[in-house]
Amino acid sequence: MAHSENKSSALMQGVVIFVYLAVLTGIEYFIAVAFDAVPLLIVAAVIKAGLVMYYYMHIYRLGEDDGEDQHSYRYKTGTNRFGLWLFLLSDSFVFAGLMAMRVNLLGLTRPHLNQLLGLAVTAILLISSFFMNRGETAIKYGDRKAFMTNTFITFLLGLGFLLGVVFVEWRQAAHEGLTADFGNPASGPMGAVFYMMTGMHAFHVLTGLIFLGIVWNNARKGIYTADQHWGVEAAAVYWHFVDLVWIFFYPALYLIGTAV
Amino acid sequence: MRNINPFWRGILYLVVLGLVGYGIGLGLDFVMAGELRFSGSVPALFTLLFGFTAFFLGAFGFQGIARGLVWQIVGTLAGGLLVAGIRALMGLPAFGDFFFTEPSWVVGGLTGALSFIVGVGVVDDWIKWARGMDTPEHHEEHYHGWAKYFAVSLDHKVIGIQYTILALLLISIGGLFALIFRTELAASQLQFLTTDMNLFGQNGPQLYNTLMSLHGMIMIVSILLGVSGIINYVVPLLLGAQDMAFPRLNAFSYWIAVPASVLPLMSLVLGGFDTGWTGYPPLSTRAPVGMQMFFLGVFVAGWSSILGALNVIATVLRMRAKGMTAMRMPIFVWAAIATSLIALTATQFIGLSFQLVMFQRLLGMGFFDPAKGGNPVLFQHLFWFYSHPAVYVFVLPGLGVISELLPVFVRKPLFGYRWIAMSSLGIALVGFVVWAHHMFTSGMNEYLRVPFMYSTLLVAVPTGVKFFSWVATIWKGKISTPTPMLFVLGAIVVFLMGGLSGPPNATVSTDLHLHDTYFIVGHFHDTIFGGFVFPFFAAIYYWYPKATGRKMNETLGKLHFWLMTPSFFTLTFGMMYVGLIGMRRRIADYDPALGIDAYHLVMTIAGYLIAVSVIIFLYNFFNSLKNGEKAEGNVWNSRSPEWQVPSPMPAHNYDQPFEVVGEPYDYGLKDSAYVRFAGTAKSTHK
Repeated sequence: MAHSENKSSALMQGVVIFVYLAVLTGIEYFIAVAFDAVPLLIVAAVIKAGLVMYYYMHIYRLGEDDGEDQHSYRYKTGTNRFGLWLFLLSDSFVFAGLMAMRVNLLGLTRPHLNQLLGLAVTAILLISSFFMNRGETAIKYGDRKAFMTNTFITFLLGLGFLLGVVFVEWRQAAHEGLTADFGNPASGPMGAVFYMMTGMHAFHVLTGLIFLGIVWNNARKGIYTADQHWGVEAAAVYWHFVDLVWIFFYPALYLIGTAV
Repeated sequence: MRNINPFWRGILYLVVLGLVGYGIGLGLDFVMAGELRFSGSVPALFTLLFGFTAFFLGAFGFQGIARGLVWQIVGTLAGGLLVAGIRALMGLPAFGDFFFTEPSWVVGGLTGALSFIVGVGVVDDWIKWARGMDTPEHHEEHYHGWAKYFAVSLDHKVIGIQYTILALLLISIGGLFALIFRTELAASQLQFLTTDMNLFGQNGPQLYNTLMSLHGMIMIVSILLGVSGIINYVVPLLLGAQDMAFPRLNAFSYWIAVPASVLPLMSLVLGGFDTGWTGYPPLSTRAPVGMQMFFLGVFVAGWSSILGALNVIATVLRMRAKGMTAMRMPIFVWAAIATSLIALTATQFIGLSFQLVMFQRLLGMGFFDPAKGGNPVLFQHLFWFYSHPAVYVFVLPGLGVISELLPVFVRKPLFGYRWIAMSSLGIALVGFVVWAHHMFTSGMNEYLRVPFMYSTLLVAVPTGVKFFSWVATIWKGKISTPTPMLFVLGAIVVFLMGGLSGPPNATVSTDLHLHDTYFIVGHFHDTIFGGFVFPFFAAIYYWYPKATGRKMNETLGKLHFWLMTPSFFTLTFGMMYVGLIGMRRRIADYDPALGIDAYHLVMTIAGYLIAVSVIIFLYNFFNSLKNGEKAEGNVWNSRSPEWQVPSPMPAHNYDQPFEVVGEPYDYGLKDSAYVRFAGTAKSTHK
């Protein structure tokens, strides 16, 4: 699939990628339920991550030619883009560290969690990424109204994810005995790992929501144009990054290994 | 009042408000504890915070750093009181031994650091951006003279000097700590840090542990700041850029380091901690509140390091002058890139590992508690995944300085430019896969030992490349030895000693004997002095005229070198020797039967001589600002672009852009030039 040239094909591309991601998520779920195959889950997650990074986060833009003039908006945006990706590279080491902790402490076991709820919040975050992509495409073609609508939907879905994890999932998990400090030491470090990983991710969702709120408000004031909307691009890439992390955390917490 | 010199006005404020702070602390402590504890933690804490703030308040008024520090105090108290209130509502004790409880101090420490950032004004522009307002690319400088360095500036040269000054301050504090416990070690038995004494809620040996631990971490933070100082000042100049890629982020990275330096000092008075700088659990899960302030300080300093590194990489990728291809970049830029790649990524792991211990202490999450299914060795893996590569963050810029300055003073091309450039990256990459050599005795899986032994020994290859290149560069050169060159040569020799004492520690069979002995202490002081301290001094002596338009005094500089170098060798060789015959590290006392009292006495004297040499340096540094010999031209006869324009450097660097037209280090080659400025026929370099 080549880079899209016009608005309708760009939007269509977003839809197609979303379908791929949704199908792959379904396949992951099926793999986990039908046969416990960790390598397949890893492959599926890596494919999903690749799709998100290329088609939603547009990593290829790092290679774009920004011209010679170091004072142009275009060149500065290119520099900002490098800065943002370097930040994401750095941030991904936090999550890699958490993942290493999870592998070390839990191995091929996982906490006993509500599978349907897990799938639901995962779907919500994925759909929010889809709308974020539509929003960014809209502003790229100067459609401020569509941008604001789509960003608003993204915001609501993100908020839904955050509240779903913190107020529904955490409460349910605690109710089923998954507590952070473990009154019962024999049940292992599940709770600590689960709350730490989802908590760190939720913190990033929260910052992403603040970021979305800021760009939505600025769009309302009309400061973004088709040519100059770095703030929107940054918020979108960051939002997709939050989704990208969950692409790995979801199987790590819900699908891999056996529940104990 | 107005007529007094700002420095003495600051001292006056410090004394008065420090006493006020002491009184407040004493009163609060009396209310809580019901007794007057004159050498207790709370009065000391308030004296520290009030005195530190008061100095800047007196010297510069309520602006810049002083406003930030006032906000930090208010933020700390507000955060602490908030948690105290919540605890009271939950029916938990609201206040504890150190006035606040541990959760209060942690939240207060964090809100204090964030308040500092808002108070100092470094996020003003970002807040405006978030509200949809535009700000000018550059701001007018509001302050002049010294005040410029104590308020927010977006100029990378100002920020570089700010970093350097803070680094020198922390080196002095860390060195002072070392002198205190080095004095205790001068003879066996406890002489003045005795169990009878009580200071900040700690007895003598406990205070020894705290000072020893803080010496480690304060020095590490100061090294990170020193590294950032050189890189910030020099890299944009070498690249021909007007500034760093993100000037506001650059200022942010510096200013967040100020509260990050205050936090570990708070840990000194809040009960201290006894884990060493590594903070291993389970000891770190039981240490006093000071442990948490230490964790917070490192965590916040980590942000500074990460964001600074991000800025450096973006600057090098995007802001180079015309014609500056990868293989025509000054060699120091390669070192800066290599060091920044490590700092950008691996730093997250030390932040994460300390954060997990913080949560284990605060919330009872059992990451590293075997009783709860946790794994203490996991901490060591996470910790060393940063903390080993961190030593390459410390030394790579220093090695870059050696390679950068050596050709200037031997008037010969740098031997094997490409190999040196790649060896920096090589050290950085290999550095990521050697961390477990710190853990041979930790009880980790035995099969991990051999691969980590070999990967560690592999580091000697790219490092060896650098040594051969330096030797070949010096070979048959026209060597001159002004002070910067002395420190470059000193660095090479000292780092060689550090390098040669390394393989015995990397080899499992010998490490099982050497682990946790003074041999290790001697080894890493050699590597850090050779890789950072000597090159740092060299860089300061070398670029000082660029920043100030004056040279530092040569005689004092030579005295500094010739006093420091032999003392330093005496100290570290002594450390290695007593380590080999059984001196353990991190202990306040040792067995007289070891027969090493005399060695320790000599080492202590050597330590004091190093301190004297650094005092000479500091005097020279500040005195030369006014009285140094004028040096506005190309004092070292360098080919590098920053020396082709007058000193001190103009506000926006180069008035005319330059183009790279040749190789950077072709010293002694006829009619060769590195850079050509627009509008001039040829380079001014001869």
